[in-house]
Amino acid sequence: MRWIHSLASGQPVEVLGGKAHGLAVLRRLGLAVPPAFVVGADACRAYLRDGRLPGGLAEEVAAAVAALPAGEVSVRSGASVSMPGMMTTVLGLPAHPVGPILDAVAEVFASWHTPRARTYRELHDIPHDLGTAVTIQAMVYGDRDPRSGTGVAFTRDPTTGAPVPFGDVLYGRRGDAVVSGREPTVPLGDLAVREPRVWAGLTRAMALVEGHYRDACYLEFTYESGDLWFLQVRPGRFTGAAAVVVAADLADEGVVARSDALLRVAPEDLRRVARITGPADVLARGLGACPGVATGRVATSAGAAVRMAAAGPVVLVRPETSPLDLRGMAAAAGIVTARGGPASHAAVVARAMGRPAVVGASGLVVSAGSVRAGDRVIPEGAVVTIDGTSGDVALGEPPVTASLADAHVHRLLGWADDVSGDTSDRPEPERLRAAHAVLRQ
Amino acid sequence: MLLLHTLRCVGSTTLARLAEVAGRPEPDVESELIDLAVAGLVTFEPGPFGGWGITTAGRAVHATWIAEELAAAGTEAAVAEALDRFLPLNAELLDLCEAWQLRPEARVLTLLGALDRRAEPVCADLTGALPRFGRYRVRLAEALARVRAGETRYVTDDMASYHVIWFQLHEDLLLTLGIPR
Repeated sequence: MRWIHSLASGQPVEVLGGKAHGLAVLRRLGLAVPPAFVVGADACRAYLRDGRLPGGLAEEVAAAVAALPAGEVSVRSGASVSMPGMMTTVLGLPAHPVGPILDAVAEVFASWHTPRARTYRELHDIPHDLGTAVTIQAMVYGDRDPRSGTGVAFTRDPTTGAPVPFGDVLYGRRGDAVVSGREPTVPLGDLAVREPRVWAGLTRAMALVEGHYRDACYLEFTYESGDLWFLQVRPGRFTGAAAVVVAADLADEGVVARSDALLRVAPEDLRRVARITGPADVLARGLGACPGVATGRVATSAGAAVRMAAAGPVVLVRPETSPLDLRGMAAAAGIVTARGGPASHAAVVARAMGRPAVVGASGLVVSAGSVRAGDRVIPEGAVVTIDGTSGDVALGEPPVTASLADAHVHRLLGWADDVSGDTSDRPEPERLRAAHAVLRQ
Repeated sequence: MLLLHTLRCVGSTTLARLAEVAGRPEPDVESELIDLAVAGLVTFEPGPFGGWGITTAGRAVHATWIAEELAAAGTEAAVAEALDRFLPLNAELLDLCEAWQLRPEARVLTLLGALDRRAEPVCADLTGALPRFGRYRVRLAEALARVRAGETRYVTDDMASYHVIWFQLHEDLLLTLGIPR
């Protein structure tokens, strides 16, 4: 086999790509991964050079597909560096005949050259000739029966860094539904009650992957008729207070050295940002698009926001935004949209105006004069609080603080001063930078 | 009627800004706004976030007008094709705006210039299909020129920024084709 590799091949991430490399790690840890094989990134480079799939690849793919269990496969891109959402994924392809699979591989390879992917690489210093690997994997079905489902999980809370599992699950659905954010999800912990055996398998896997990566991790999983399968793993890449808390906790637990903990925190992570803390009646969660907390009365139109803002702070809640909402956004203290991601017009405008914002809060249904969250109806004028870091939209005025991780920051910066040998009174980022300078020598 | 359409795409705004967007002298625009207000299609709201805005009646009249305009021009297929080419560029522009807001680096502006060049033929074809789209080309070029002259708030942070003009172009395309957001 020249072009394709098994997950057990021991090939490096440069060949397998990040996604398949993670699958290989999961497999090595003894966790269940649907059968798969990988078309290496060198085949992509050959395709990009010659404009066609390399000779011999078709035969190798046919042989490898024949070794997979009968049924459908997924065909996914996976470069050695993360390029989220930039390339093609094809789900639910019949494995026989092999022609459509080869077409899908060529389609994924060709998607390397879309202008958007090219721009993304320019922004992130990724070489244009790197190419992507392709993972071809037997499908598992979170929509098989009532004892099936799919979810995403962080091993620790990505907004606070607290050592508790965090994530979302969708019962009776496939993985693309939960990642798309189009359907309202259930908090991950609910699985402990509904599927105790799946939950036990998941928490065991969390401990194993944290042990391997020596970091908080992100997992994608599906369970089919009660059987748990893992589809992706990567380090959590936490930022802000969560990065500080996880780094300090891991050093305290002896999992990483203090010097490693210091290098995992960036000076920007020390910035004080207002956050919701403690008990909050969370109506919905979206993506934080502009950090900060805003409390105000719900307005469901730009006109209402402008009128109500005269009497006090307003949170503008819209399905998504059009230019007609611009004045409402300017008048509002905070902005929520039910649809859209961190790169949406609403998110760009909110950041430009410096308004805390939550986008893609898919659990909210906005109509004229009210907002529905599940079976609750929030009338215009009700007070809500939004957290533009975590993406939480909460009813009322929960406690808010700008010093979420003070004890951890204090501890970490003590280690930083030990490294730099400088205990003078300086701003926090400078204390960390001084330690980084010594550690990177 | 074109002014009503401009106001529909821009959202509530001041006379000065609307004249700038339309590329027409303020007194002309004001006189037309007053006529539209008498007809109940636009209204002026005072206050810090007020300005000229379209009324519910104005939106209904506008929806009829814009459908008739496209039917009369007979260029629906060309506009729809331009939207198909615009949407991938839109995703890329939003990536660039996000990158700029997180880390304002010169290379983002270089990439914005490259994107603008690729958007030009789409704008040209749109203008061929409906000449009123030609105004976006002029306004986007103005915003980019200001950015290049060092006024970097014209990337995302000004109401006449490249992103805001692009956002209005996106809205205009959806309105013209009658596609709900």
